[in-house]
Amino acid sequence: MEIPDTYYSKDEYVETASGNKVSRHTVLCGSQNIILNGKVIVQSGAIIRGDLANVRTGRYCVIGKNSVIRPPYKQFSKGIAFFPMHVGEHVFVGEGAVVSAATIGSYVYIGKNAIIGRRCVLKDCCVIEDGAVLPPETTVSSYMRYTARGTIEGGQGNPYFVPAAMQDEMINYTKSFYEHFVRAPAPAS
Amino acid sequence: MPSENRIKILPKAVVCEESSLRGDITFSSGCVVHPSATVIADAGPIIIGENCIIEEYATVAHRLEPGAVWDVNNILSIGTHNVFEVGCQVEAAKIGDKNVFESKCYVGPGVTVSSGCVVGAGIKIHGSQRLPENTIVYGEQGLQREAIDKQGSQTLQIDFLRKVLPNYHHLRKPNYDPKKARSVV
Repeated sequence: MEIPDTYYSKDEYVETASGNKVSRHTVLCGSQNIILNGKVIVQSGAIIRGDLANVRTGRYCVIGKNSVIRPPYKQFSKGIAFFPMHVGEHVFVGEGAVVSAATIGSYVYIGKNAIIGRRCVLKDCCVIEDGAVLPPETTVSSYMRYTARGTIEGGQGNPYFVPAAMQDEMINYTKSFYEHFVRAPAPAS
Repeated sequence: MPSENRIKILPKAVVCEESSLRGDITFSSGCVVHPSATVIADAGPIIIGENCIIEEYATVAHRLEPGAVWDVNNILSIGTHNVFEVGCQVEAAKIGDKNVFESKCYVGPGVTVSSGCVVGAGIKIHGSQRLPENTIVYGEQGLQREAIDKQGSQTLQIDFLRKVLPNYHHLRKPNYDPKKARSVV
């Protein structure tokens, strides 16, 4: 399966030396605290809150349109603490998702309009379906699927299982997404 | 409808420059407005009480009904210590104190929210109704129950944000001082 080409305007996206493609219409607050490790796509309207705490993403991540990446916080009796947020490699964050997780492992798929509550832990190779709402401090184990109905499905024989090749699938998907996210050709003059 | 925006920011309010504000809006002291928050005062003025937090992509709207015009006496007065979390859309008729509107919830125009309520993430409330005090709306079917505990205070978060946000954002300057207003009179 090959993803069709997605074109972007030359004026809208900036490509950095490490291959990150960042839209100019994102809101990167506190950009000195945001580490994009390379070949990351941040699409239009995404918000990454680096001013509250450090945000670090791995390679080949895709941050979809109008999604919000926000460090989690916890209220203690003596104060409030925002925790640094780590996103692994080959992670896809769908459009309009609100992510406040503490840790996101590698090869994670987060669907459209998902809401990840505060201090959730998403282990490697898990799937968050479109429109799912995760309560705070939920842990989604590896090879598990959090459905839009609020259940965590997976395991052998379950029809909602996460395939054993989830790692290779996510590598192929994010690499293909990156390679087919191409600049629109200039009009012939 | 007045064409210019009339934004009043009291001292100690933190309003980011990148928020979208339209109409006659008053931010009381201690308010925190994150970047890309939206406040729309089409039908009349909006007064946001003290120590409210409006997070990014949250929308607080006072919308015109079809055929109506802007009315200076049609004031949406929002109480104190409310939290509008990421992506929520609140068009309620009345909002009391100490409410939490969680991520991506929708509260329609006919809803009256009293005090101490929590509207859960992804909940959509339509129709004319009044949420009693300490109501929690939860679950994908919008069930309601009454909270026994009081909601936690947001004072610590507001103090933290008041320290952190000016380091990274351009803020709108406070332009309204009640003491000076009194002395001028």
